[in-house]
Amino acid sequence: MIRRGLAMDGKRVLRLSNGLQMRIGNLRTGVGLAVAALVLAILSTGLGLTDTGFFDLLNALSGGQISGTEGYALWTVRLPRILLGFMVGWAVALSGALLQSIARNPLADPGLFGFSQGSMTMIMLLLIIAPMAPKSLVVLAAVTGGLCVAGLLLWLVGGERSSGLSIVLMGIAIETVLSSFGSLLILYLPAETSIALSEWLAGSLFQANWTMITAFTPLFVLSLAGILLAGPAMATYDLGPEMAMALGEPVARSRPVILVFAVVLSAAAVTAVGPLVFLGVLAPHIAGFISPAIARARLFLSGLMGGILVVAADAMTRGVAGGLPLPLGLSLTMVGVPLFIIALRLQALRKQQSH
Amino acid sequence: MRFLIPCTIAALLAVSPVLAAERTVTDDTGREVTLPEHPERIVVMHEPLLGVPLMDLGLDVTGSYGRTDDGGFVIAVDFIDTVLGEGKPKPSGFGPFGQPDLEKLRALQPDLILATALDAGKVDQLATVAPVYLQNIDGSKVHGFEVQANLAALVGLEDAFAARKAAYLERVAQLRETLPAEIADQTYLPIFLTDQLNVVGNSSGMIQALEDLGYTRLEVSDAGGPSAEGGSMMLMPLSTEAFGRLNPDVLVLLNNYMGDGRDEAGTRAKLGKIVPGWDRFMKPALEDRILFVDPAKVITPTVASAEHMLDAVETWSGKAQ
Repeated sequence: MIRRGLAMDGKRVLRLSNGLQMRIGNLRTGVGLAVAALVLAILSTGLGLTDTGFFDLLNALSGGQISGTEGYALWTVRLPRILLGFMVGWAVALSGALLQSIARNPLADPGLFGFSQGSMTMIMLLLIIAPMAPKSLVVLAAVTGGLCVAGLLLWLVGGERSSGLSIVLMGIAIETVLSSFGSLLILYLPAETSIALSEWLAGSLFQANWTMITAFTPLFVLSLAGILLAGPAMATYDLGPEMAMALGEPVARSRPVILVFAVVLSAAAVTAVGPLVFLGVLAPHIAGFISPAIARARLFLSGLMGGILVVAADAMTRGVAGGLPLPLGLSLTMVGVPLFIIALRLQALRKQQSH
Repeated sequence: MRFLIPCTIAALLAVSPVLAAERTVTDDTGREVTLPEHPERIVVMHEPLLGVPLMDLGLDVTGSYGRTDDGGFVIAVDFIDTVLGEGKPKPSGFGPFGQPDLEKLRALQPDLILATALDAGKVDQLATVAPVYLQNIDGSKVHGFEVQANLAALVGLEDAFAARKAAYLERVAQLRETLPAEIADQTYLPIFLTDQLNVVGNSSGMIQALEDLGYTRLEVSDAGGPSAEGGSMMLMPLSTEAFGRLNPDVLVLLNNYMGDGRDEAGTRAKLGKIVPGWDRFMKPALEDRILFVDPAKVITPTVASAEHMLDAVETWSGKAQ
């Protein structure tokens, strides 16, 4: 049984029989973003050297014949990049949205907290010591690095009454130390090792394949469950830890769990494509501009926007760049930052008009 | 059963030429790789270290990572021109540096992809196009132009390599006769200048030539930083303080090929920025025991680079006499 109604702020909502309510605006935005992601993915299947695309894919799926070259371009190169790109973007954006609520700071993301740098530093050390380390060890190193930073952060900021600001400041301090160490490694390692590390640091979906997608899919599904479980808590965290505790949120228990969740999402993404700097800030803000939301809706819309941005960035890398070297990190910035600036500018204009 | 036996025989007959035309080898990282007996369309992931050695033996390399679509090279120096001479056909590229394009790579129809141990992370993706052989380029594991010898054996060019090596050794013997007899006891130290000092690793034609002439590498223990694992042209960075104290019989200086100034004047100026006043206190400088070499000619692990080094030594010894 679904009923229409009005929320306390006058916005229209859908109320389910179990008490769950969804803002119709958020729902429409979610559907719109999902459609946008789908359209972008369809267009992206047509980008590349081989003259093939979505219709050939449909033809193959319906049992038709396509050439080996077309099959290779679609199944081995393009589809894995699109799917992994979406999931990775989703994970980083979700991680950023979670951390912004925990820290009560709109600038928080896995990079600002040092989680990405923790994962990166550990992976870099592993690649220096054992350049041929298996992928499983790289994943383990990334998660360990991120968790070490999260553990250190929690230990340094103290207990449940520590403010969001202290978490951010401590995160910046740890991130700065780890970034400096990373720069030192890049600068003073022999050229070939530095180049190999720099390639990875610039971000790339080159490694995207079905094995990696199979490994990432459970985390993606887990993140959906995580949104359902952690979503309501995020609404209380947005009001500050004291208010969250007053509303019955067990901050001492839930905050570490949410931090670990954010670290795992970030570490998995870093392992798959390298660090995607600023995506954790970009995606939640752009999603929030399109449709202001809290709790589960905010997390869900942020994830969708993160996925869209990475798929769009990859499309730019493959299609528009031609022979130009355009790493994923750079194309993501080129796609996301103008949108971010437009969103902030329109927000500012909106505020000016309302006063 | 009556159908089964002829079918099996037919299948074996159909497959046997393929089996005969392929072989399985173990690459330098321990992977088993099945490749054609005589690969003809080879793509390399590192042109100076893997492509130039094959081209030096007369093989045309089909594709090279780092080349642009119009045949340009990713860095200022084109090693095919500097090592082998201008006018050689250039391999095709398959995507800009940092972004290998698998569709472009497949369009080149390679039957073998040669990569370095540092490309181990890319193997799974590259192997979707063609067999990938990982060659060690680490100077602690391969020496002189051993990489070229290994690659020659891999692609069936042993005879071409043997002929190149024989001609080179003859030249070494001729040059050796013109040099002073005491060089057998003399040491050399090759230093590559970037924004720091780097001791050059063992895998290059330059090292092969110097050691074939009788020089011995000066052991440097006081390094200023971490050494590379997995593969590098450089052995280790060297602190300026440690460098100032060194006194090899021949100090070989090479300026970075990423910019201009690979000649003596450019190299002197670059070293002057890293170690100011070096030519006023270092013994090899005061006693004119410095050999300035263009790394773009001598750094590849090829017989051609070794021959360029012989040219440099010949010119230098002529001046010294």
